[in-house]
Amino acid sequence: MATREVTRPSAPATPPAGRRTSVQRTKLWGTLLALPTAWIVGFFVSSMVIVVLLSFGRTQRDGRPVFGTRLTNYDALWNEVYLRLFLRSLTYAVVTTLICALIAFPVAYAIALHGGRFKSVLIAAIVVPFFASYLIRMYAWSALLSDDGVVNSALRKAGLGGVQFLNTPYAVIGGLVYGYVVFMILPVYASLERMDLSLIEAGKDLYHGPLRTFFSVTLPATRAGLFGGMLLVFLPALGDFVSAQLLGGPKTYMIGNLIQQQFLEGQNWPLGSAMTVAMMIGLTVLMVIYLRATTTRNREQA
Amino acid sequence: MSRRLERRPAFAVTVTVVFFAWLYLPIVAVVLFSFNSVKSLATFQGFSTRWYVDFFHDSSLITSLTASLGIAAVAAAGSLILGTMLALGLERIRSRSGRAIGAVTLLPLVTPEIVTGVAALLFFTGLGMKLSLVTVTLAEITFSIAYVTVIVRGRLASMSPEVEEAARDLGCTPWQAVRQVILPTLVPALLGSGLLVFALVFDDFVLAFFTTGVDPQPLPVRIYSSIRFGVSPAINAVGTLMLAFSALLIVLALLVPRLFHRKTSTLDLIAGGERP
Repeated sequence: MATREVTRPSAPATPPAGRRTSVQRTKLWGTLLALPTAWIVGFFVSSMVIVVLLSFGRTQRDGRPVFGTRLTNYDALWNEVYLRLFLRSLTYAVVTTLICALIAFPVAYAIALHGGRFKSVLIAAIVVPFFASYLIRMYAWSALLSDDGVVNSALRKAGLGGVQFLNTPYAVIGGLVYGYVVFMILPVYASLERMDLSLIEAGKDLYHGPLRTFFSVTLPATRAGLFGGMLLVFLPALGDFVSAQLLGGPKTYMIGNLIQQQFLEGQNWPLGSAMTVAMMIGLTVLMVIYLRATTTRNREQA
Repeated sequence: MSRRLERRPAFAVTVTVVFFAWLYLPIVAVVLFSFNSVKSLATFQGFSTRWYVDFFHDSSLITSLTASLGIAAVAAAGSLILGTMLALGLERIRSRSGRAIGAVTLLPLVTPEIVTGVAALLFFTGLGMKLSLVTVTLAEITFSIAYVTVIVRGRLASMSPEVEEAARDLGCTPWQAVRQVILPTLVPALLGSGLLVFALVFDDFVLAFFTTGVDPQPLPVRIYSSIRFGVSPAINAVGTLMLAFSALLIVLALLVPRLFHRKTSTLDLIAGGERP
């Protein structure tokens, strides 16, 4: 699919019907683009602009948010409670991403190399539950892990005593991994499928040992999939609030919970907007650093 | 393949087996306890369908269910139209502005959902719109366009432009070429992405949570409010129905391209994989 796209000439070598058609065609494509572009700019882009504008605003005494030009909301973010919470979210998201990578490689490897004719079925068996309600899946964990849930009553029956799972960072991170690991497995699987598998064999002959083969052959060859997957997991994990809401508590709240509170509980929309903008700026900076680092490395590789 | 490669790597296979168990454990638990005859979530006392009966007699839950189905249907239709127009335009236009538009339209995919939700909430209230199922639907369409565009573009990229050129040589206008040559070839991709968007929107919680009014609420929002008051077996019944319904939609979305004897399935497009 991708290769065909590359080899296809960007314009027909000999335009069959002269210049007029190409003008006509460009007009058609432009007309087709106009409506959806207007929709996305109208709804998505302009709503983002409103968030940025309101982040400089304030809440009136009657509770209504108004636009302004003040930095007070950003000043308010600069305190220990919020900074600690930002750091916690970042830590949870990074740990989630790493755990997802640790799960994705063996799973994708086993399916790609040893799935045989069940490959597609196995991948579908991973994809299907991940597209089914995220909320229900988080709820399922909270029911399983609760103090009177299945896991704890089994532990008590075994004489091991109950363990408090909920309200711990482990539960929240577990929920995030459960929620987003598919976004790591799919790209890693795709890049494993694309790589020349005889390389792994050659690596085994050359390096003797699966670990050294993995680090010197498989990992470099699947780097693009891994880097892509890390982004796809990190982004939603950092903004998540359902996992911390259902599996955690105030001690494990993430940025998402804080933002959600400002908009739907605390009713301080300007402050919530500033938090949202701060998160987006943080994400963009991280993204630029990350993309720079990974693309230079890929270039060195090539 | 040599024998060494055929030998199963014990470590990877073990991780995979544990992974599948972990993946399905909570789902199996929800389904199992939805048929529990007592309220306990720890012990299964006996088979019963009382929680399903409760669900179908709860008129407010049924209202939420209908609302969610309606939102998903309208959002799927709207994003299919807009997303396909966008895909056709982006795939064929060769200008710098085209590429810039392409980048902007992918933004909703990489923006954390909570940010989209907050922005949509501010947008609708800023315009003075009352939050309702209409605002939820508008937000969901905006969010879903990118999915359709990505899938349809994938299909367009694998189509040879010669067919379209031939149609043009035979005297079709550009629009006729699109309607009579390109659109029929896109049917599997359109069905697949339509089903996918329907399932995603039907299940979506975050965006619906930020853009919905008080009554009626979409089903996931309604479920979220009852979960916060504690776990209950009735939620297991609703959850089971939702899981079954979305699983069915996704399986259909994955199978549709196969029905049309295409080599690439929706799954390959999602996974970005290629068949050797």
